[in-house]
Amino acid sequence: MTGSGVVLSLRHLGVELAGRDGHGVAPVLEDLDLEVREGEMTALVGESGSGKTIAALAVMRLLPPGARITGHALFAGEDLLTLDERRMRARRGSVGMVFQNPLSALNPSMTIGRQVAEGHRLHTGANAGAARRHAIELLGEVGIPDPARRLDEFPHQFSGGQRQRVMIAAALACNPKLLIADEPTTGLDPLVARQILDLLARLQRDHRMGLLFITHDLSLVERHAQRLCVLYAGRSVEWGEAPAFFAHPRHPYSHALLAAVPRLGQASLRGIAGTMPDPGHRPPGCRFAPRCPRRQEVCTQGYPPSVGDGRTEAACLFPLEDIPVAAPLAAASPVAAAPGAARTPGSALLQLQSVTIRYGDRGGLPGGRKAVVAPSLDAVSLELARGECLGIVGESGSGKSTLGRAILHMLKYEGRILLDGRALGDLSTGDRRRERRRVQVVFQDPRESLNPRLRIGAIIAEALQLGGQHDRDSLRRQTAALLERVGLNAALAARLPNAISGGQAQRVAVARALAARPDIIVLDEPTSALDVSTQAMLLNLLRDLSRDEHLAYVMISHDIAAIAWLADRIAVLRAGRIVELAPTDQLVNHPRDPYSASLVASAPRLAGAPVTVPGEV
Amino acid sequence: MLDETRSLDATRADLPVRIGASSILARLLRLSGGNATLTTGLVIAALILLASSIGPVLYGRDPFALHTASVLAAPDGRYPFGTDDLGRNAFARLLVAGRSTLYVALPATLVAFTVGTLYGLASGLGPRLLDQALMRLLDAVLALPGLVVLIFFGAIVPLNTGSLILLLGLISWPSLARLVRNETLAQRDRDFVHASRQLGGGLAHIAGTHLLRVMAPVLVVNFTFLVGDMIFALSALSFLGLGVQPPHTSWGGLLQEGLDLVALDAWWLIVPPGLMIFAAMLATSLIGQGLLARGGTR
Repeated sequence: MTGSGVVLSLRHLGVELAGRDGHGVAPVLEDLDLEVREGEMTALVGESGSGKTIAALAVMRLLPPGARITGHALFAGEDLLTLDERRMRARRGSVGMVFQNPLSALNPSMTIGRQVAEGHRLHTGANAGAARRHAIELLGEVGIPDPARRLDEFPHQFSGGQRQRVMIAAALACNPKLLIADEPTTGLDPLVARQILDLLARLQRDHRMGLLFITHDLSLVERHAQRLCVLYAGRSVEWGEAPAFFAHPRHPYSHALLAAVPRLGQASLRGIAGTMPDPGHRPPGCRFAPRCPRRQEVCTQGYPPSVGDGRTEAACLFPLEDIPVAAPLAAASPVAAAPGAARTPGSALLQLQSVTIRYGDRGGLPGGRKAVVAPSLDAVSLELARGECLGIVGESGSGKSTLGRAILHMLKYEGRILLDGRALGDLSTGDRRRERRRVQVVFQDPRESLNPRLRIGAIIAEALQLGGQHDRDSLRRQTAALLERVGLNAALAARLPNAISGGQAQRVAVARALAARPDIIVLDEPTSALDVSTQAMLLNLLRDLSRDEHLAYVMISHDIAAIAWLADRIAVLRAGRIVELAPTDQLVNHPRDPYSASLVASAPRLAGAPVTVPGEV
Repeated sequence: MLDETRSLDATRADLPVRIGASSILARLLRLSGGNATLTTGLVIAALILLASSIGPVLYGRDPFALHTASVLAAPDGRYPFGTDDLGRNAFARLLVAGRSTLYVALPATLVAFTVGTLYGLASGLGPRLLDQALMRLLDAVLALPGLVVLIFFGAIVPLNTGSLILLLGLISWPSLARLVRNETLAQRDRDFVHASRQLGGGLAHIAGTHLLRVMAPVLVVNFTFLVGDMIFALSALSFLGLGVQPPHTSWGGLLQEGLDLVALDAWWLIVPPGLMIFAAMLATSLIGQGLLARGGTR
């Protein structure tokens, strides 16, 4: 397989790390084979805990001491894993690396120019003047306007997307043959993420570099990757040429992962039940078997051999052979009939009348000191009907979270917010508390939203107790019922929040909200901290709940595809103003505002994926 | 034959005791999570507590009886720690001094702890104006030298166990109050607090259910430090004659009596109470630091 043009070739790469408790080593990555070719992008795809970042760190020999690495990483005819430190240092110049968080990767006290030129000077010994000219050239190439001037600025003067561009320029400084990008778009708005990805793809072509792109998001690499490898729990489950993979995923996990990404125009969204096993607790045989709908007895006996046609291969005994490829995107985007599209809107449950929040207003608990750093919300008016789901989409800084917090009365605002035509401020204290319970919230970070020192059962019981229920038996019964309602085992009640997964924690937050029997739940980026497969499960749960309990949602997200899956109507927010508010299918297919059009264009659309798999995944 | 049975009995009698001791040690070690600092602190504290609580009963000698025949006797078989200038048994006095020291210091710690925690919570959760006012008041209290205030009040208030507890407790809370307030500010904007508020939780509910629980590790550690501070403050006060009043005495009082007789070379009256104060402070400090270290790994 070591043909011409192969830049990096991983052979049977394996990594063992010391366990979290300090003793015992567990394999986190096993038997990874991967090739990166000149001028091509290879995507290494996996959810958190799959071992994808470990693979990159192993190649760069940046793992913590105590890690045991096996196998080979051939780069320009040398095995990087056996080089001595001096020669490895020389090699590091020809491998560029771009990290996830550009702010922590840049030194805040050094000018951008020095940091970009640093690698170049270290590896070529160029003088200061030459290095500076080189840095200007690089910054221009990665699309920083007016590079000569901005060279002398500091990292905090750059936006998130620009910082990532600077990181890329620094990685390019030594003319690397290989560029490793580890989730370089995480935390960036979708529009910016697209731009960074396009930039990387262009640079990789122009410089004839090999690009190893590490991500959890399949939809991100669909347009650019030439080859790809899907990791699950430390093993590659499917690998090969990207176009063939997207047209015809073989492994049930790959397929499920594709189906779990919310896309515009999609009729069904399926998550994957269960969670990825931790290193050290991985099942024998196929790692995915416990969650796999096609599992048979033999799947648990030994790791499955690979099958395929030379273009893509999968390690699976029962691969998906004859699943038809779904129709391409351009043909039709008959947008999913959003759940409540046909619903007749009743009278307005919640009304916002020119709600304005000014910079520096104080809020939160009485006497709150935390200044609202988000920009102001500018005369926003909205209505929400009973049982309706309103999506609010916008990039960071658009004021969408501020809007959510205003609805929750966590901030002081001008204008009026009416629930059933009554403003909270007009009510007596007792009524106010009761009314407040009708609007519940699910936050973005599931860990932060549960008190780490309370057991799950107590967290849900708190919500019931504050509603005036105190009978112990009845509390226990209702807590169990609520946990089951959100698809959790009632036995989870005895656990502490740090002993459950992020997806489970988010379900607990939903159960707590339900315990108050609300009319409205504000969902503030409810899925963005979750893995792809878990995300889809949660979105489906929310959809079912809304239908069954006749709940209204205000869902806030930067992910328009996820919103489109739930929302009846979508409001596009930009710089504190609503630029467009329209029914979901209208907004997704015929956006009128240019800004909403660009948001819609940046979202993943139904393409080759989802197809119906025999057996619910 | 007889010898054999006896030795057998001896081992039998021995066995449970040994198991008992080792299981207490093992339990202590488990409690402290294998943390040597914490274990040492707990062992010293346990010894001091035992000596001060059941010590006087076990030893059984009257600490107030005057043995005029042996005034200022050096330590010997009869008086392990010698006698003082009135011929009182110094060891018996050391034990009861420990008891009265802890009788005052521990409740005073509770007073300071309660006041400090409530004050801090009120300041951190209350309206901005209240917070400002409370913090300025706290600055004022902190600016007063504690010992001087104690001496002042000690001179105008009749000194007994109750008034000492209140006096000590009511001047020792400010640093804890500031700590609790800062922790409250750090925690009150967390999502789970907002969620609880949205469920209708009032400030008292949020403080009790969420904030105190999240702060518990910090509070426990600072409680132990506070105990040490309190023992020291009481000792200092007693040393100045404003603490536990005669005929009762405290470690600080014993130290002062001993120092009055320093010219007579009665070292046995100075070293033991000094060591007890030192050991008590060491124990609280070790426990506090041990808990801190253990909390850090969690």
